[in-house]
Amino acid sequence: MHELSLAIEIGRLVEEKLGADVGRCVAVGVEVGTESGLEPSALEFCLEAVFSQPPWVRARPVLTCPPGDIFQVTWFEIEDDDSPQDRSP
Amino acid sequence: MTVRKIEVRERVMARNDELAAAVRARLALHHVAAINLMSSPGAGKTTLLERTLAELGEPLDIAVVAGDCQTQNDADRLAVHTGRLVQAIVTGGACHLDALQVSDAINHIDLDRTRLLIIENVGNLVCPANWDLGERERVVLFTVTEGDDKPLKYPRMFEKADWVVLTKTDLLPYVPFDLAGAERNCLQVNPNLRFLRVSAMTGDGMQEWFDFLRHTVAPLAEV
Repeated sequence: MHELSLAIEIGRLVEEKLGADVGRCVAVGVEVGTESGLEPSALEFCLEAVFSQPPWVRARPVLTCPPGDIFQVTWFEIEDDDSPQDRSP
Repeated sequence: MTVRKIEVRERVMARNDELAAAVRARLALHHVAAINLMSSPGAGKTTLLERTLAELGEPLDIAVVAGDCQTQNDADRLAVHTGRLVQAIVTGGACHLDALQVSDAINHIDLDRTRLLIIENVGNLVCPANWDLGERERVVLFTVTEGDDKPLKYPRMFEKADWVVLTKTDLLPYVPFDLAGAERNCLQVNPNLRFLRVSAMTGDGMQEWFDFLRHTVAPLAEV
């Protein structure tokens, strides 16, 4: 449950950045520090659950575990069609 | 189709921390001290608050926000002991309160008539530790019916706390709980912790708890 609430917050954070384009998000990078108090595999499981619900379509979580108590979203990947005007956000 | 990578580097807790800072600033503006009361389920938060409201509810103008996963039973129990509204937060299964919930809850509280806000968090020794609610003091209840090694098993909760209140001390003759060892374990994870020992049933230690609350309120009241 702890990890689920944090996974929901990660989903909210990325949705805030991407808006309607969140459906084109294919990966989200998250740093989970080894001293963060979080269980990376549990968080990954919860993120997969969050990303399986609309408005998400096919994103996958990519977790890395650096030393320290850092806990942040570091990047996300979105799939563009290659038309010149498609460069949001 | 091409895939674009966008760098973000944003702390997951950033939004909660911003909201907590706003809650803290709002409470300070009204000279309200806030305590975040946390513990495992069944450690005696609600019973301690019942006694507290009966004794100090009016003298200290105490307002309460009571969080629970389901039901507002605790809020109903507390409401019997105060003429003021006890603001219930039912988290719908979530394991902790967050700053947004507290921010919404205090919209329903007359802060000009409040000197002390007590936030009864959801019973859980893990998750609430990570969520700043805008409180001034973090108080962990640690009951003698739990293992005295709880601080070692759940270090983050005790690392982040300011005070530990050992509860149900009237049961000490009946349980294998090493009181001094428990306090040593607390200090091992956080050397700055301060302690109170109370039994809300017999009243032992309650005056010290009441004094702590009076002292918590006093510096802000003098502003």
